[in-house]
Amino acid sequence: MFPTSTQAKHWMYSSEEELNELREKTNLKHIQVYGRNVNDSNKYEYYLTPEEEKIMLKHYELRLRDFCKRFQPPMPRCVIGTSFHYFKRFYIHNSVMNYHPKEVMVTCIYLACKVEEFNVTIQQFVANIKGDREKATDIILNNELLLMEQLNFHLCIHNPFRPVEGLLIDIKTRSTLNDPERLRPGTEQFLERALLTDCILLYSPSQLALAAVLHAASKIHENLDSYVTDTLFGEEGRAKLMELISAVKAIRSIVKMVDNPVDKNQQKMLDKKLDRCRNPEYNPDSEIYKKRLQAMLEDDDDLYQAITSNVDEFNSSALNMSITSP
Amino acid sequence: MEDFTCPRCRTSKFQNPSLKMMVNVCGHGLCESCVELLFLKGSGSCPECRIPLRRNNFRVQLFEDPAVEKEVDIRKRVLRDFNKKEDDFESLLDFNNYLEKVETIIYNLTNNIDIIDTNKKIEQYKKDNKEQIQKSKNKLGREEYELEEMLEMEKQIEQARKQEIQQEEIEAKKKKIREKEALLDELMFSNANAQNILETFAQQAKEAQVEKAKAPPKSSHFSTGIKIGGTSHNPFMVPIDEGPLYQYKSVTIQTNGPEPPNDEEIVSKGFINHVRSETEQERAGGFKSNIACKRALQDALLGLYHTRTSFA
Repeated sequence: MFPTSTQAKHWMYSSEEELNELREKTNLKHIQVYGRNVNDSNKYEYYLTPEEEKIMLKHYELRLRDFCKRFQPPMPRCVIGTSFHYFKRFYIHNSVMNYHPKEVMVTCIYLACKVEEFNVTIQQFVANIKGDREKATDIILNNELLLMEQLNFHLCIHNPFRPVEGLLIDIKTRSTLNDPERLRPGTEQFLERALLTDCILLYSPSQLALAAVLHAASKIHENLDSYVTDTLFGEEGRAKLMELISAVKAIRSIVKMVDNPVDKNQQKMLDKKLDRCRNPEYNPDSEIYKKRLQAMLEDDDDLYQAITSNVDEFNSSALNMSITSP
Repeated sequence: MEDFTCPRCRTSKFQNPSLKMMVNVCGHGLCESCVELLFLKGSGSCPECRIPLRRNNFRVQLFEDPAVEKEVDIRKRVLRDFNKKEDDFESLLDFNNYLEKVETIIYNLTNNIDIIDTNKKIEQYKKDNKEQIQKSKNKLGREEYELEEMLEMEKQIEQARKQEIQQEEIEAKKKKIREKEALLDELMFSNANAQNILETFAQQAKEAQVEKAKAPPKSSHFSTGIKIGGTSHNPFMVPIDEGPLYQYKSVTIQTNGPEPPNDEEIVSKGFINHVRSETEQERAGGFKSNIACKRALQDALLGLYHTRTSFA
């Protein structure tokens, strides 16, 4: 039930502006904590700007989608939807410079597989990854708990796919539309694009589903307006109708604006920039990370303390990086 | 105990199935016949540790490990003097300290640590608490006496009941014979139809049985104070305070959207016709197509009135 879910309670936002503000705050906090010695005026020469972080995320969202589509065995759509939710939620309160999106992306998908009961083993999973599979396994398993923690353990995701099924059943039952199955391809395409946008954090899954269905209808030159106003909402819902219409319009306009793939050259440049400004504490290739992991594995409390005390010092200052849920 | 052999004569349970191991205060075992032989005079020394022993201190060995046997023996002896109860102490801590002390003494004696010192300690304690020991002993004696009395009572009641049952049986037998005779008399001298007479007698017998069954059930007392049978209320049953009864409140679904159809409407309004029907296996598992249909419709309608709110 969506209205009582943690999704509705904790992970729905009022506007794109609010989301962008939160992301900017995250970016600023990161720079304030780790870049104290860098001059304010030229800090963005070294660190990523909020805008650049956004481009990075966009790029990795596209990669996430492609990865899921190519995944063997083929995964159900709800796994993809859930991974997108996790990915977006994670980067509302975490900076790209702290956790590399490449790593978080695969962890999100792996966790989504589990949550959505799409059973793949870690071996099966990393078989889909190019490069060092052993290292990928380590990264995924090490990041899994961190991801869940950052999601505040709100793992249940309501995707718009089942609402679409419900709407199609309802349309078949209560409207005069000829062969509603024709709406399916358009709807699916729309939802796929919607996942790339922020609207899954702004609108309820049933609203997204309705927008998708209406979009698909308009594409095949059918009109479902009377179904929505008379049948679906009826007398009791009249007062809410305006709100819904504006929501559907907003969703459609957001989805229409989905950008083209990120420019390759720009992406390469950003990747390089990120490599330079990346927080070494969370970089699996860095010495600090390796030392820390080793200390953790050996349960060597003293060494662990010595290494992490630096971080604690930062965190105990007013600029707290770990953000609890809003 | 199968592979047990007497340390003196080397007889084992296998050679002599009726072999009985005896043990004395030192904890070393000896078979019954060796005890007879060695302690003919009533006293002698242990063949293993040369401790002087008396014959009537020998007991049948209950535990496989003679050390345990020894410890039990010592415990019995020590506890005869250290017989304080929890009520004799002001706090639980004191009582626990006392128990700890007793255990230390027993352990020391069993494992031959500081025997002289420990024995001195026991003597000292005996002296210090002479009065209390005697009092506790008396108390213990009284309790035992009461228990015995209760057992005696129980026995008497048991006997009385047995007698009663016997009496009843004799009575019943007599009655049966009387009835039989009456029936024969009736058949011999009455002019009525034999079939009818048989029926009336069968009827009477049935009624008598019913009456017997109605007789109140007998109750029996036990020494534990628990009464079984009978109709009187059990005094040991503490009435349980149950509090107000649980009341079921049906769950209200927070819809935040148009009302989704209920179970009947899904069928009557034809929603069900637009989902595939469940397979045989799914039906066996309890999954019916109307459940999936209802869920999809609920998901489609709930949250349609969602308005964007800020949590910042």
